[in-house]
Amino acid sequence: MAKKNVLEQLSEQMADVVASASQSIVRVSGRRRLAATGIVWSADGIIVSANHVVSKKRKSKVTLANGETHEAKVLGRDASTDIAVLKINAEGLQPMAKADGAGLKVGHFVLALGRPGHSTEATLGILSAVGDSWRTGAGGMIDRYLQTDVVMYPGFSGGPLVSAAGELIGLNSSALARGVSVTIPVATLNRVIEFLVSDGHIKRGYLGIKTQGVRLPAGQAEALKQETGLLLVGIEPGSPAEESGLLLGDIIVHFDGQPIRHGDDLISLLGTGIAGQKTPATIIRGGEVSEMSIKVGTK
Amino acid sequence: MSGSNKLEGAADKPLLLQQMGEEQAAIAERVQRSLAVVSNGGRSGGAGVVWSQTGVILTNAHVIRHRTPQVELTDGRQFEAEVIAHDQRRDLAFLQLPTADLFPIARGQSSSLRPGDWVLSVGHPWGVRGAASAGSVIAVGRPSEQVGRYEGDLIQVGLHLRPGHSGGPMVNAQGELVGLNTMIAGPNVGLAVPLKVIEAFAQEQFTAASSDFI
Repeated sequence: MAKKNVLEQLSEQMADVVASASQSIVRVSGRRRLAATGIVWSADGIIVSANHVVSKKRKSKVTLANGETHEAKVLGRDASTDIAVLKINAEGLQPMAKADGAGLKVGHFVLALGRPGHSTEATLGILSAVGDSWRTGAGGMIDRYLQTDVVMYPGFSGGPLVSAAGELIGLNSSALARGVSVTIPVATLNRVIEFLVSDGHIKRGYLGIKTQGVRLPAGQAEALKQETGLLLVGIEPGSPAEESGLLLGDIIVHFDGQPIRHGDDLISLLGTGIAGQKTPATIIRGGEVSEMSIKVGTK
Repeated sequence: MSGSNKLEGAADKPLLLQQMGEEQAAIAERVQRSLAVVSNGGRSGGAGVVWSQTGVILTNAHVIRHRTPQVELTDGRQFEAEVIAHDQRRDLAFLQLPTADLFPIARGQSSSLRPGDWVLSVGHPWGVRGAASAGSVIAVGRPSEQVGRYEGDLIQVGLHLRPGHSGGPMVNAQGELVGLNTMIAGPNVGLAVPLKVIEAFAQEQFTAASSDFI
């Protein structure tokens, strides 16, 4: 038999990658009409999918690669990052190996897999852009910006983006950005899934402050590259804010590395799983800019 | 992780798709050094590509809506540029920056492109800086239908061009410039002005006998 040419070898290897990864891809029937895709996260039945494909009004079902269908329980969901965690009664499932996100480069080949029907579907593309953390329209914190030129077919939401070696890079969602294909990286999945499995939702952080947006003095506006900040006009006794040393009259300008220009900025930050964490903040007190650490509580 | 499904062989010998991905990533990184952002007085623009070390930037004519567009290089430097050549029919323009230490893109040969050849387009789709998209050539030549006011040959490629890609480079598997991302023909087909057309335009504009622009 003639030796296979490079393109044939490539095709065979890609089909092998898809066949192997496909063992960890499930069909998620959680909404009317079109089913979507989910990823086997643990051998004992934890399945991760996109929040927007799992309706609150319906019982969800998960169909495994071997054709078995299970009733699924929704363990938790987070609309801000579009992640839902389901649990089925099954053992010995095959979770996906996770890629080390640090090695990802623009130009790497990637595959998107889906199982909205009864068999695996796959498309090929490349990583188009790799960037820093970003916030979704709903305020969710995504650890890295991953954009691909992969065509995401209907029902691919909740499915994996897979590296050329067959490792999980992230979860594809069509709901977070319009017109481009973005992927939620493994780092964000790890963080959010941990919260969702233990609490069912991401605990909102609580500071115990009342605030008002104010214009910053010209010199500081220029130095901090922002026009406005949040003036503290009330602090609840015994609150996390008081215990962290915040005072009436302080102006919060940065929180958790993000600029705070008005109240909505802080409100969306408090919804991103920073409850219970010591969080860096930049404030203006008595006309001086200073850094401090604030322990965010919960209510 | 036990029971996980990482492919055998991934550790000792990389799969072809991995090798190709690494080569593609290296090309993307090199092309980004010759990439520019072109904007018009704060308004959106597109991409540009470094044509010569002596400060000449190639872009699309339709990207330029200002007499003195701003150009930002990948290293962060910003310049006010002068439009030194402009042709609506071929949708090409050259800009001059007041600097002479740029990293020009290597040039290939668009006439040797064949249907099925691999190409990579780099630009700023929807403002995402230096994003790359890959695809293969569908056809090279005069399109069967008139495309806007454009006259001449075009490279048709099966890849996603988006607003912000215009004026950015399309390179071959050696990372050499073969075309300029110019138009969208449907969601998955991009059109590029071939390098041959660009070089003819450059010849007409810069008739100086020196090998570089003066």
